[in-house]
Amino acid sequence: MINRLIYLFVIAFISFGGICAQSNINPDISLIGTFDTYTNFIKGSPGYGKLNFDTPQMELFVDGYLNPYARGTANISYENGQIGVEEIYANILRGLPLDMQIKAGKFLVGFGKINTIHPHAWPFLNRPLFHRVFFGDDGLNDIGVNVNFLLPTGEELFTNLELGVYKGNFIDSLHNSNYVNRGVNPVFVGRFSTFFPVGDFGNLEAGISASYGSYAKSNLIIYNIVPVQDIVPLNYFYSGLDFKYKYAPDSYTALTIEGEGLLNHRDVSRIVQIGVDRTTADKEKISNGGAFVFIDYKFEKQFSLGVKYDYTAGIVGDAPTFSTLANDDKNATQGIEGWISYYPVEETTVLQLGLQHLMFSSGDGINRDPQTTITLQFLFSLGPHKAHPF
Amino acid sequence: MKKILILILLASGLSFANIKVVASTTVIYDLVREIGRDKVTVDFIARGDQDPHFVEVLPSYMLKLRNAQIFFRVGMSLELWSNQLIDGSRNNKLKVIDLSTDIDKKEVPNFKPDASYGDVHPYGNPHYWLDPENAKVMAREIYESLSSESSQDESYFKSNLDNFISRLDKKIVEWSNKMSKEKGKPFLFFHASWIYFADRYGIKIAGYVEPKPGIAPSPSHNADLVQLIKSKGIKTIVMDNFYSDSAPNQLSQLTGIRVIKVPTAVYGMKNINSYMDMIDYIINQIVQNN
Repeated sequence: MINRLIYLFVIAFISFGGICAQSNINPDISLIGTFDTYTNFIKGSPGYGKLNFDTPQMELFVDGYLNPYARGTANISYENGQIGVEEIYANILRGLPLDMQIKAGKFLVGFGKINTIHPHAWPFLNRPLFHRVFFGDDGLNDIGVNVNFLLPTGEELFTNLELGVYKGNFIDSLHNSNYVNRGVNPVFVGRFSTFFPVGDFGNLEAGISASYGSYAKSNLIIYNIVPVQDIVPLNYFYSGLDFKYKYAPDSYTALTIEGEGLLNHRDVSRIVQIGVDRTTADKEKISNGGAFVFIDYKFEKQFSLGVKYDYTAGIVGDAPTFSTLANDDKNATQGIEGWISYYPVEETTVLQLGLQHLMFSSGDGINRDPQTTITLQFLFSLGPHKAHPF
Repeated sequence: MKKILILILLASGLSFANIKVVASTTVIYDLVREIGRDKVTVDFIARGDQDPHFVEVLPSYMLKLRNAQIFFRVGMSLELWSNQLIDGSRNNKLKVIDLSTDIDKKEVPNFKPDASYGDVHPYGNPHYWLDPENAKVMAREIYESLSSESSQDESYFKSNLDNFISRLDKKIVEWSNKMSKEKGKPFLFFHASWIYFADRYGIKIAGYVEPKPGIAPSPSHNADLVQLIKSKGIKTIVMDNFYSDSAPNQLSQLTGIRVIKVPTAVYGMKNINSYMDMIDYIINQIVQNN
C-alpha cells in the first residue's frame, strides 16, 4: 500500500513538472538509472560462471530552493523491485546564527566522506566492505537533524564541523533478533574535516568522525540464588578517519587517492559457563574495525580506471552482520576491486567494467571459499546534473 | 580625545578598505582589475586553461566567496557549478552580478532544448566575451556594481572605465582591420563558442568538430567534416586550447587543414595576461594561419 502511494506521488509529481515545465520556479528533476549484468565464481552459487541480470535500479531526484534561505531534496529509489524514499530533507543554508547550516529529514549521514556521496557517483562499483558490516547494505542513512559549522581557520583552510542526532534506523537494521529492541534511543554522529589546496593543481581533505549510541539491549540472565533477568543497554562507539587527495592538472585528467577507516568499540553479551550445567550471559567490550583505500586515474575526458583494497572485521554477506560480530570478532573479510570506466557523453551515460575478489578469514573454523564477481554496469543520467563536489 | 581619534582611524580604515570581488572566470577578473584597480581586491574561480563549463565544487572556492562582497559571473547557465559555491559560502551579504544582463544574446533556442541537442544553453550562447564590443558592456556593468558598492569611488571607477574603453576602442579598430581580409571566409570551430566572435568579424562558421555542443567528436562526423572541408575549401580549425586536439589533428592529416589552438580566457596560455592579450593572440593566429 505504501509502495503504491509513493508510486502515485512520483507519477503525480512528474506530471506536474511536465505541465509546468516552462516555469523557472520548478525544482530540478533528474533520474539516474543503473543496470548491472554480472557473472560470479562463487562455489555453490546458482549463477556460477553464467551471465546474470540484476533488476534495474532507479533514483529520482527532486531538488530546488524552498526560499532564499533553504533547499529541499527528495530521492525516491527503486531497488530490488521496491520503491522507497532514500532521502527527503530540507537544508537551511543561510540566515542562521554563526552561519550554521541545518539539515533535517532522512539523508545520508556524514560519517567519513564516501557515505554522503550517492553510489552512482563513486568511481568504483561495490560499497566498501566496512560500510556493509558497520552501517548496513544501504550505508549510514538515517532520520535526524544535522548542524554544520564552518570554523574560522583563515582563508586557506576550509574547516567544517558537523554534529547530528539521529533516530538510529541504520543501527536497527543491523539488530540481532536475540537482543531486546533498543527502543527510542537516539544515536549521535559527528565529523570534523579540513580541506586545503596542495600546490596549483592538488587538493587534500582529511576528516575524523565519531558515532555513539545504544544499538540494542542485552537480555542478560544473572544467576545468583534465583535467576534474574537484567536488560542492559549495549552501547557502541565508532571512530573514523578519512582522507582524499586529488591532483587535477586540467579539466580532463585527475588522479584521486582516497581512503577511510573505522574503529568499532562496543558492548556485547557473551555466554559464560558458571557451573557444570549453568551458563549466564556476560557483558564484554570488543574492538575491531575496517578500512579501504583506492586510487582512481582519469586519463582522458572519457576514461578512468582504478583499484581499491578493502578490509573489514566480520564476514561480509552474513546476516545480520553486526550481531555475527558480537560473537565472533575474530573473523575478517578482505577485498580487492579493479574497474575501468567509459563516459561516452560526459556523465549522461557511463559504462563500467569491474572485478571484485573477496577473501575470508574465519575464526569459527568454517572454511569459506573466496568469491570473485565480474560486473558490467550501465548507468544513465536524465535531467540536470549538479557539479560533483570534491 | 583618544576615543575620537580611534573612531576617525577606524572610519578612515573602513573607507579605504578595498572591495572584495570574486570573478567566475579570468576574463571577468581582468575586467574587474581594469575598472577597480587599487580599490578592489579580486580573485577568480575557473583557471584560464580550464573549461568553464566544468569546474569542480571545491571548498576553497566557497571560502573565496565567503570573504567576498561581489561575485561576478558570465551567466546564461555557463557556470552551473556557481550556485553550489554560493550556497557553500554561507555569505548572506554576497551580491551576485550576472554580466549577461545587457548583452545582445545569440542562439537563444526558440524550441524546448533537451539533451538530444547536446549541451544547448537554454538562455542562449554564453560565450559572449569573445566579441570585444561585449567586453565594453561587461566593463560598464562592473563599473556600475563597484560604484554602487563604494559610491565615494564612483569617479575613480568611471575614469578607469573610460580609460579602458578608450584603449579597447583603439584595439577594436586594429583587430577589425586585421580581420577584414578574413571576412566571408569559412572556418571550422571545435565547440559552439564562437558565434559572437564570428558575427563581429563577418567570418562564416562552416561547422563544428563536435557533432553537437559538448558531444565528443565521432568517426562518422569526422568523415562528414572531411567532405565539408574539401567542398568548401576550409583552411583552418579554431579551437579553445583546453579541448583535446586528437580529432582536429586527424582532420588535419586527412585534409591538410590547419589547427589553431587559442586561449579563450586570460592566463589560458603563457603571456596571455589580459583580455587584450587574449584577443590579440586569437586574431593574430587566425590572420597568420588562414
